[in-house]
Amino acid sequence: MAAAAIEFSDVIKVYQRRFAGSQIAALSSVSFEVAQGEVCAFLGPNGAGKTTSMSILMGFIYADQGRIRVLGHPPGDVRAKARIGFLPENFAFYRYLNAEKLLRFHLSLSGRQPKAPDELISGLLSKVQLDGYKGLKIGKYSRGMVQRLGLAQALLADPDLLVLDEPTSGLDPAGRKEVRDLILALKAEGKTIFLSSHILSEVEQICDRVIIIDRGRLVRAGALQPMLAEGNRVEIIVDQLPLELEQAVKDRGASVQREPDRVRIAADTAQKRALAELLWAGGCDVISLMPMKSSLEEMFLKLVGGSAE
Amino acid sequence: MKVRTIALSTFGSFLRNKVIILFCSLFACLVLLMMTPLLAFKAVTTASNAQQMQGVVLNEIVAVMSLMSGFGSLLAAWAAADSVASEMKSGTILAVMARPLRRWQFLAGKYLGVLMLMAVYVVIMVGATLLLAWLGGQRFHTSLWTLLVYPMVRYAIWAAISMFLVTLLHPMFAMGIVVALASLVSIFGSTFTKMPVWLRLPVHLALPLTSVLSEQRFLTITRASLKPFPWTSHATAVAYGLDYALVWFLLAIFVFQYRSLSRD
Repeated sequence: MAAAAIEFSDVIKVYQRRFAGSQIAALSSVSFEVAQGEVCAFLGPNGAGKTTSMSILMGFIYADQGRIRVLGHPPGDVRAKARIGFLPENFAFYRYLNAEKLLRFHLSLSGRQPKAPDELISGLLSKVQLDGYKGLKIGKYSRGMVQRLGLAQALLADPDLLVLDEPTSGLDPAGRKEVRDLILALKAEGKTIFLSSHILSEVEQICDRVIIIDRGRLVRAGALQPMLAEGNRVEIIVDQLPLELEQAVKDRGASVQREPDRVRIAADTAQKRALAELLWAGGCDVISLMPMKSSLEEMFLKLVGGSAE
Repeated sequence: MKVRTIALSTFGSFLRNKVIILFCSLFACLVLLMMTPLLAFKAVTTASNAQQMQGVVLNEIVAVMSLMSGFGSLLAAWAAADSVASEMKSGTILAVMARPLRRWQFLAGKYLGVLMLMAVYVVIMVGATLLLAWLGGQRFHTSLWTLLVYPMVRYAIWAAISMFLVTLLHPMFAMGIVVALASLVSIFGSTFTKMPVWLRLPVHLALPLTSVLSEQRFLTITRASLKPFPWTSHATAVAYGLDYALVWFLLAIFVFQYRSLSRD
């Protein structure tokens, strides 16, 4: 089995307030892993510790305790960083450069020496739809354009692992879709992607796994689809439901929703067999019986409760 | 290669920096202001008062050199502090340090960028000094290296001290300490030889005695010529300065290695 791309084991980070003398626990014994080749979302309300975790991962700040490995190396190790593409939250840049010069600067720092750097840079700018703005100073870019440029610089060194802090922040719906498609294309290439986002509907569309933290503590980690299907309710769809049978169904704690050509019955999983038999016996044709999936947003709100904004 | 990339980028950002542009404008104004009296002196110089006029002109040049040199120290300290602090404040350091770049390489690149700026400053400063001397009808009978190397070593010291302080403190505090230190140096520098022997060593170790590195030590300004010092005196003075700068720069690397790179 391939080693995990990211390993966090019992990581603790406490911020000291110098003059107030107080302490803030940013991460309290957080442990998780991100396997190679998967798209993993790192979720949590504001102040949950996501950016702290990503900063530790990149070697920008040091954890107080715990074991961290990124692509098999300690955080900040140049061997790991050579294989990472990173997009920080609110990507900042040298405003006096244009996109081409900024990418050339980052290419020089990446240590990568492509045969045709001009083509590589043009291709990346085209990929993020900035090819028409090569010569424009970045200081004149819109928020969305800056974000796209940030993505281009993250992809510059053909990384194995992409760490993206709010990659769709500041983008319009069309731009968000492009980024989603780009992430899915990168996933198809076998890249590992670790991203944080507040747009949970997007996460649901592109991620294999989610890690949820709240107030510096790990709340949940696991594969996304089984996690969403964990609810203890089922949905039974029947072609019709006589009124006398409806009452019997409701007596078993189920809810009934009538539609023009079908009837939807939602009930506890424990009642599914009894209800199915009741419906069959009453002459109803059961079209489907499926576990009910909750949305990621519902699950997220349930898990982090009042701390989510 | 990576250090060079950071250095060139730092130097490029200085050339667009409003504070530095303002600084250079003031510098140019000062040179223009000094030209008027020098031209006047030249106009009134005759064979009988030539000796006296030479003294007047060279004294004025010494004053300008001292002023520009002092400005240069502040510029070196400010540029070093700003080069690191502005990256941290704006957050540009995050994308840069996400590259396979070691922290010492980043700091070395920044330091070299500051030295490149100061090299340009020194060349302009020496050029302005020679221009003023020429306008006053005087010549420096000395090789240029003394005028170029000594200020450069002093600036390397102030830049290293400032870089160390800014890795620990807010840039305003760092600059405040540098100005306080420069004031102490100017006080103790002139009285160093009069101090009790037991006090000399700690002061010598603690303070950057840039008076040791003053090109004026080696120049007979009143005759604008190089004093006949043995080369070992120059070597010792320059080695002292470079060693002092290196120690502070290594301390800066040590502190920077362990500090957070977050935007605070």
